[in-house]
Amino acid sequence: MAKSAELLPGTLDMLILKAVSLKPLHGYGVLLRIKQISGEALDIPQGSLYPALYRLEHQELIAAEWAQSDNNRKAKFYTLTPAGRRRLREETASWNRLATAMSAALSATPEEI
Amino acid sequence: MLGGVRSLWRALSRRQSFEAGMADELRFHLEEYTQELIQSGVEPSEAERRARMEFGAMNTIQEECREARRLHFFDELGRELRYAARLLRKSPGFTLTALLTIALCLGANLTIFAVMDSILLRPLPFPDADRLVTIYNSYPKAGVERDGSSLTNYYERRGRIPAFSSLSLFRNATAVVGEPGYTSREQVLQVTPEFFATLGSGPVFGRAFTEQETSFQTDKAVILSDGYWRQHFQADPAAIGRQLRMDGSPATIVGILPPDFRFLSSEAMLFRPLSSSPEDRSPNNRHSGGNSKHMIARLAPGAGLGLAQTQIDAQNAALGADNPKEQAFLADAGFRSVVAGLHADHVAGIRPVLLWMQAGAIALLLIGAVNLMNLLLVRAGARMKEIAVRQALGASRLHVVSEAFVETSLLTMGGGLLGLLVGAAGIRLLAALGADRLPLGSQIALDGRIAAAAFLGAILLGALLAAPIVWLNLRNRSTAALRSDSRGGTSNRAAQRLRHAFIVAQIALAFVLLSGAGVLGLSLERAMAVSPGFRADHVLTSQISVPWSSYRNWPDRLAFNAKLLRALANQPGVSATGVVNNVPLSGRSGKSAAAVAGHIRRPGEAPRGHFAYGVDGDYFAAMGFQLREGRFLTADDSRRSGRVCVVDEDFAHYYWPGSSALGQKVFNGPDVKSDEEAFTVVGVVGNVKQAGLTDEAAQGAVYFPYALRSDESLFVVIRTSLAPELMARTLQRTVRQIDPELPLSDVRSMEARIADSLIAYRSPALAAAIFSVVAMLLTAIGTYGVLSFAVTQRRREIGLRMALGATPVQIRTQFLTLALRLLNVGIGAGLVGAWFAGESMQALLFHVPPLHFATLAGSVVLIGLVALVACLIPSLRAARIAPMEALAED
Repeated sequence: MAKSAELLPGTLDMLILKAVSLKPLHGYGVLLRIKQISGEALDIPQGSLYPALYRLEHQELIAAEWAQSDNNRKAKFYTLTPAGRRRLREETASWNRLATAMSAALSATPEEI
Repeated sequence: MLGGVRSLWRALSRRQSFEAGMADELRFHLEEYTQELIQSGVEPSEAERRARMEFGAMNTIQEECREARRLHFFDELGRELRYAARLLRKSPGFTLTALLTIALCLGANLTIFAVMDSILLRPLPFPDADRLVTIYNSYPKAGVERDGSSLTNYYERRGRIPAFSSLSLFRNATAVVGEPGYTSREQVLQVTPEFFATLGSGPVFGRAFTEQETSFQTDKAVILSDGYWRQHFQADPAAIGRQLRMDGSPATIVGILPPDFRFLSSEAMLFRPLSSSPEDRSPNNRHSGGNSKHMIARLAPGAGLGLAQTQIDAQNAALGADNPKEQAFLADAGFRSVVAGLHADHVAGIRPVLLWMQAGAIALLLIGAVNLMNLLLVRAGARMKEIAVRQALGASRLHVVSEAFVETSLLTMGGGLLGLLVGAAGIRLLAALGADRLPLGSQIALDGRIAAAAFLGAILLGALLAAPIVWLNLRNRSTAALRSDSRGGTSNRAAQRLRHAFIVAQIALAFVLLSGAGVLGLSLERAMAVSPGFRADHVLTSQISVPWSSYRNWPDRLAFNAKLLRALANQPGVSATGVVNNVPLSGRSGKSAAAVAGHIRRPGEAPRGHFAYGVDGDYFAAMGFQLREGRFLTADDSRRSGRVCVVDEDFAHYYWPGSSALGQKVFNGPDVKSDEEAFTVVGVVGNVKQAGLTDEAAQGAVYFPYALRSDESLFVVIRTSLAPELMARTLQRTVRQIDPELPLSDVRSMEARIADSLIAYRSPALAAAIFSVVAMLLTAIGTYGVLSFAVTQRRREIGLRMALGATPVQIRTQFLTLALRLLNVGIGAGLVGAWFAGESMQALLFHVPPLHFATLAGSVVLIGLVALVACLIPSLRAARIAPMEALAED
């Protein structure tokens, strides 16, 4: 099992948006999906997931609907709204810019100065 | 942002399902995780425990979820509301006092505000109503401040004053409408063709009047108000083109006005063209506007009142240039055509009265507020320690503020709702007092705007009331409050000072209201004591409209008068009857010029405008005039060919000082003409109040025989030995027997007319009286409340002192001295306030100086008595405290 990394502040929202963009998920599903797509590297504190989901729903970035889960139980499923899709795109782009810049900065060698 | 509001609304409106959904969702998560743990081989009971542990504190998560939805504010508000409601329920006496105080004080304000709103604030119901102006002729040096405008003015100005985009003339009239046997008398507004265009609101069906319809032969057209159309034509659009019989001849309906059409205070339901002859429009009649025709205009874009005034002045000067004699006469009379805003001009007379009534109501509200602040401070003082403990335990300042605000707002909202009821009752009361006769007064109503004002007032009052509590709780270092002796050794000094300041303010405000009510009442009394100059008791008067279409010439009209007077004279209880074209104090007084043979105006002496009347029958005897010299006019003078007249004392003294007026010659109009047109003075009568009881200077009056003073309006005057109101039926029956088509209107006794003419004195006096009674009551409650709280709080101290030898008299004296000190400061401040109020209220006062000594002294005594009685009870109680009991308590 890979060592799990600390979550950077503000990245939980981005991960949730990404998770539900792939497929409608219930809260527990979001948790599993984030674990899965991060290669088990990111571990979400379970308690902080729901306030984040409610906040995103309040901002109308995700929408919720009650439906049957895989094991035939009623569960609340979240889907990405158009506004959420837009936000995810923006956040991804800005994250990529930041990551590129960071790795360029951190890999700088004395010769490059 | 909008999304957030939507989501909040969804959560709030389905709060139950939100909570249930959240619980379900979290439980689902826990169960799924537990299952997974079990599948990975953990013991079921252990799995459940671990799932819960890893999930975290359920309550905290739920609270965070609610917060994410912004629900916690409402949870907090709900909690505070419930807490406040519980506190208020626990002290029903306080709650009831507070609610009633707020209801009375807000209600009084709402009533006056409703009047202010409909009369002063709300714009006239026309587009860009602030561009509408009125123009009137004024001859101030001749004693005629205000005359209407003439037809000549209208035809000369129309289209020639660039500052006006549209200009028109209107005249209030009446008409007998309907088929014979089913007639009614209706108010009619006669208007020039562009009248509706000037206002910017005209017929929704049909058309406005045309230029052709302004001549006597071709003016048979009528426009109906929406109300008349619905009532008489069942809102049938085909009414256009149909005929309505008016004054005996048919008029074609050409237009229907929109439902909201209302022109100033006019009650007219029917609109006719204002028709005239070429002679009426000629320069000779430029100054014969009388008081019946009025001009309105709409300012052109970019033009203001000043520009319009300049252009009117310039035109008047140019028009007068070809007639130097008239020009000089007009200059001596101080002639000017005045341009004024239509709305402002219409309500100018009532404006100061309303502003002062509102000021009085606000003073009352302040007294009530101060009272409540004191009561609330007392309550807050008792809870100060609890609050300090809570603050020490981490309650935020915001929380302290919002808790106080929620409590006071709950009170003011409840009081505001009750206040709306009080306001509605107040409006009823005003209507009963005759408020609907004020300009624009028929529109006064409790509507959405007033409800909104009540809501706003309640919120502001809530904030105001919360302020001292918040101040007390926040300024108080929590540690100090915690340390201070809970057993009430001494009270918090700052809070005590504040309470005392409030008492002083309350006494001062109540004093200002009381002395204001005093001078207003006194000036009403003095106005009522003015003798009108005639005997007003036992006189019934009524207007009768005699249309020209059925009574075409003077002999016909005089024959009607004669028949009516003869028939009335035979009725039981009638001692004298007469006819006049206008009774005194009717509110319709206009003045006109009269020339006197042999009178040469000294240079700079202004020509005088006089009241001119036409009388028939025994008018003077019926109205109870006093004869000074010669004889009264009688019915015979109307039928004889001799031209005679009667003048009043003022007229006689002005023109023939020191000699007899009898036999002198007077002319109707501004010029001395040939002898055939002269009227010989045969009598001099006493002065009477013509326009109002409070008229200061007499302006001279001439009484002509009815036939020789061409005027179509007619009042019948009956002196009776019975109550005048009882004669109304007799009069009605008699007129119907002579001509069933003639309706009566404005049937009132002279005493009622006099009473009505004083509404501008009566309503503020009455309002001030009501306000000051309430204010005294509130002051008494407030003073009593604060003093008795002080006594309760200092029981231990008093007990201790008495145990050490203080006598009950000393204790009593101590509290009474405190009360007297507060009273003195309060009255001192009140005197200053009363001086300011009196000075600026002078316009409302009649023969009363702004600072009336007896009124002030009376107010001091009354306030002093009320405050002392309120203090006496707690002081006596303080003196009766038993030392042992007081010390043994707690």
